[in-house]
Amino acid sequence: MEEIGKSTMSDNAPVNAYRVEIRGASKHYGALKALNQFDLTIEPGTFTVLLGPSGSGKSTLIRSIAGIERLDSGSIAFGERVVADNGFHMAPEKRDLAMVFQDYALWPHMTAFENVAYALKRRSLDASESDRRVNEALERVGLSSKGPNYPFQLSGGEQQRVALARAIVGRPSLLLFDEPLSNLDADLRERLRVEIATLTREIGATACYITHDQSEAFALADQIGVLRAGELQQIAAPEEIYRSPANRFVAAFTGTSGSFLGVVTEVHGHHVQVALGKRRIECRTSTPLKVGDSVEVLIRPSATSLSHHHSNSLPAIVLDVAYRGRGYEHVVECEFGVISSVFATESTARGSRVEIYIDPHNCLAFPSEKRVEVDLSISELTPIK
Amino acid sequence: MALDGGLLVRHRVPFSQEPSGLKGVVNRFRITPMAVFWTLITFILVIPILLFLSVAFSPRLMSQGHQWFTLSSFKPVFSGAYGIALLHSLIIGVVAAVGAMIIALSMAWLVIRTNTPARVLWNTTIFALFLAPSYLIALGWQRLFEQRGVLEIMGFSVAPIRNLLYGPVGICMVLMVKGIPFAYLVIANAMRGLGEEFEQAVRVHGGSRFEAFKVMASLLMPSLFSAMAIVFAEAISDFGVASTLSSVGHFSVATYQLYQGINSIPVNFPVSAATSITLLALVILAILAQNKALRGRSFRTLSGRTRPATLTKLSLFGKISTSGYIVVLLIVTLGIPVFGAISASMLQGLGSLLSHYSINFDNYSRVLHSRFLRNPLIYSTEMSLITATLAVGLAAIASKVLTSARNSRSKRFVDFFLLAAVALPGIVFAIGYIFTYNLKFINDLGLHIYGTSFLLALAYTANALPSTSRSLVGNMGQIQESMMDAARVHGSGAAKAWVDVTMPLIARPLLIAWLLTFSGTLLELPVSELLYPPGSPPVAVGIELSLAGFDYGGGTAIEVLSILWALVVVGIAFFLFNRFAPPGWKRLGNLR
Repeated sequence: MEEIGKSTMSDNAPVNAYRVEIRGASKHYGALKALNQFDLTIEPGTFTVLLGPSGSGKSTLIRSIAGIERLDSGSIAFGERVVADNGFHMAPEKRDLAMVFQDYALWPHMTAFENVAYALKRRSLDASESDRRVNEALERVGLSSKGPNYPFQLSGGEQQRVALARAIVGRPSLLLFDEPLSNLDADLRERLRVEIATLTREIGATACYITHDQSEAFALADQIGVLRAGELQQIAAPEEIYRSPANRFVAAFTGTSGSFLGVVTEVHGHHVQVALGKRRIECRTSTPLKVGDSVEVLIRPSATSLSHHHSNSLPAIVLDVAYRGRGYEHVVECEFGVISSVFATESTARGSRVEIYIDPHNCLAFPSEKRVEVDLSISELTPIK
Repeated sequence: MALDGGLLVRHRVPFSQEPSGLKGVVNRFRITPMAVFWTLITFILVIPILLFLSVAFSPRLMSQGHQWFTLSSFKPVFSGAYGIALLHSLIIGVVAAVGAMIIALSMAWLVIRTNTPARVLWNTTIFALFLAPSYLIALGWQRLFEQRGVLEIMGFSVAPIRNLLYGPVGICMVLMVKGIPFAYLVIANAMRGLGEEFEQAVRVHGGSRFEAFKVMASLLMPSLFSAMAIVFAEAISDFGVASTLSSVGHFSVATYQLYQGINSIPVNFPVSAATSITLLALVILAILAQNKALRGRSFRTLSGRTRPATLTKLSLFGKISTSGYIVVLLIVTLGIPVFGAISASMLQGLGSLLSHYSINFDNYSRVLHSRFLRNPLIYSTEMSLITATLAVGLAAIASKVLTSARNSRSKRFVDFFLLAAVALPGIVFAIGYIFTYNLKFINDLGLHIYGTSFLLALAYTANALPSTSRSLVGNMGQIQESMMDAARVHGSGAAKAWVDVTMPLIARPLLIAWLLTFSGTLLELPVSELLYPPGSPPVAVGIELSLAGFDYGGGTAIEVLSILWALVVVGIAFFLFNRFAPPGWKRLGNLR
């Protein structure tokens, strides 16, 4: 059986990045559908992040791409090479890929150097060349002096750096990341995120990264795929996912400050007016709505600000305020619920009465299954100011 | 990035095409390690066990009666002498299991987690305990306390202790002593893989040292239950004590009843098989209780992130009291039987009615110069080397199957047959072999292996496999699966990933399992007795023959030399491991 990428690679040669095509992939664990007729294409050299909550099937998907899991049905192809197809399954070691694991998966009986060198064995390099590349990879992740250390002698961040060096040292055609930052603290997470982003793009490999953290996804991805219950909800550039989420789930999972229930009172193309109790608010929608429809209005964090705008504003009381370096984030309560992450360069004291401006472009209305009763005939419905 | 659902243009490359013709057939039936494993399991475990047990339900199947199906063989098992013996075995099994587990847990904590000075003694001695089969421990005590035994010759009056020894107290004590090393190794191996962060978490949240110990004990729960299950199973299926203390003291246990059933004329195989099934059911009940207690709990604690625990520094009083505890334990478990065996081996005239006795090394000289006494040791060494290697290889695969995350059919199958084999007394197991490999159709197939060393090695392996597998399960279960996955995705095949990752992580437990199997086989009694090739008696048979001829001095001298030889092999193996194993292999599970 022919292996992919068996030939030795010169150090700086561009990686032959894969185009990954998944068609009709299904995987069941007993009665649980982990993947359900899943389709996905990842273009060569791009960085794709699959975002979803626990149980959405993202781990199963990335493990199936790696060859650790066998699909029940469907196919996976790397370029023109089929690696899984209805019963056929190429072993993981023959797929020429590398993976960074959530728990690092460093081998405790090997030093950091040996862990990294292990991934080069398949390249059949001579010892001096192998050593040079391992040292280079360790240096690239800032661990040149830690080669002789065993994993237990390294901090969590250093361990994950070793795992990263192990993944890139062989310059694989496909790099997989299985929630690699979830066990690290915020500062380390940010620093390693930058390293992952730059190193992956530097070697030019196709990258597939799974996470449940939307901020990580937006920061890393060329493309984001949002998963739910084994199905792909939407795949698009981060900006598009943020601005035009395909459905309520995608919108909710990619970041909201709060949500209100209301009834549509006017429709103007992609903009609608929604009655919230006795007030009205203007927002966008990507789904066809008509007057009288019950909707849930999801508010993006970027949609809110403490201001004295006189239109699309709601009166509220400040519940909490947190200093974020470049300014302050407020949590406020209005008569329809709580809104968090309301940014302002100046702090407003807890308990203060404020006006919250809501930018209609970052405020999204989706049909609600819950029936909302608002008497639209009430004349004193407060109009938009 | 396409979400277009368009047709994927796919070019099937040659490697992915379905092989056809002869190549396809060969591929379909290719010899994989798992195929070899299942074939061996079938022939050395499944078939002999099933054929023998089937006699209980269908005596006619094995020409042991006229009925194709009956349950009448079970009637005697629960009444009369069989019923009493079964109850005795059950009580003794529970006492031995709980006692051995408690002692082993305390010893594991003292040895691995404290700086008590006597821990060095224990690590060396634990293997000696393993080496000595229960019949040798019992014989050591017997030689000391029997009428006109060593102590009475020395002028001591030991009749009250003798009465205790030849009854339930003595039997429980010997079986508990025999169970301690099994329990200790299972618990100690798991404890070595447990980082100290769990204890630290308790202490920093206000928990006392004792509460930290309780948390550690609950993390060790799989090992504790495994330890109790092993000791319980070993105790109720033990034949060594049954053939010594039980028979002399007239305190019947199930295995002795079995032995009597097999030796009676006409031989009552159906009732023996029914008794075996009942013993098996008792063990399975114990394991079911274990599984129920552990349901839904994950104890995977060994990973690249685990930090080794530091030793608890004991005060002077702590050091003295813990060392005292260890020394007393050593004297009771090993010191007394060893003294019994050594003194008996050096006493000229023991077992005779002479009034004058002398102490010298004549018995050892006789053993070393007599081909008749020496050859069994050489033969048993050869058989033990083969058996230990084969059994540990199979046990590593079996323990991997048993600890796989998925509750597959193969996992349940291996679990059941390993349990069945643990519960079956060695002597019954040997009879299963006699039945199976004397069957006409086996001979018609050209398999004339009855009465050969080959069959004896297979029987030894099958006999050792259950306990060896169980001893590895705790360690195998602690290995994070992602470490194997990482090896696979970074270019290693399944076998290479196993050799590169799994084997180093369990190198020390594998070595220990190998040494235990080697030592156990060297002195094994029941299988040896029934299956040894004519003219090639193993050590245990050699000892039995000497004792049967009232050559107590010669018999105990072979016994002492055999144990010394096993200790030498253990010493050499550990020396080689510490000298030549890569540093990373030694770091895991190392005694600091």
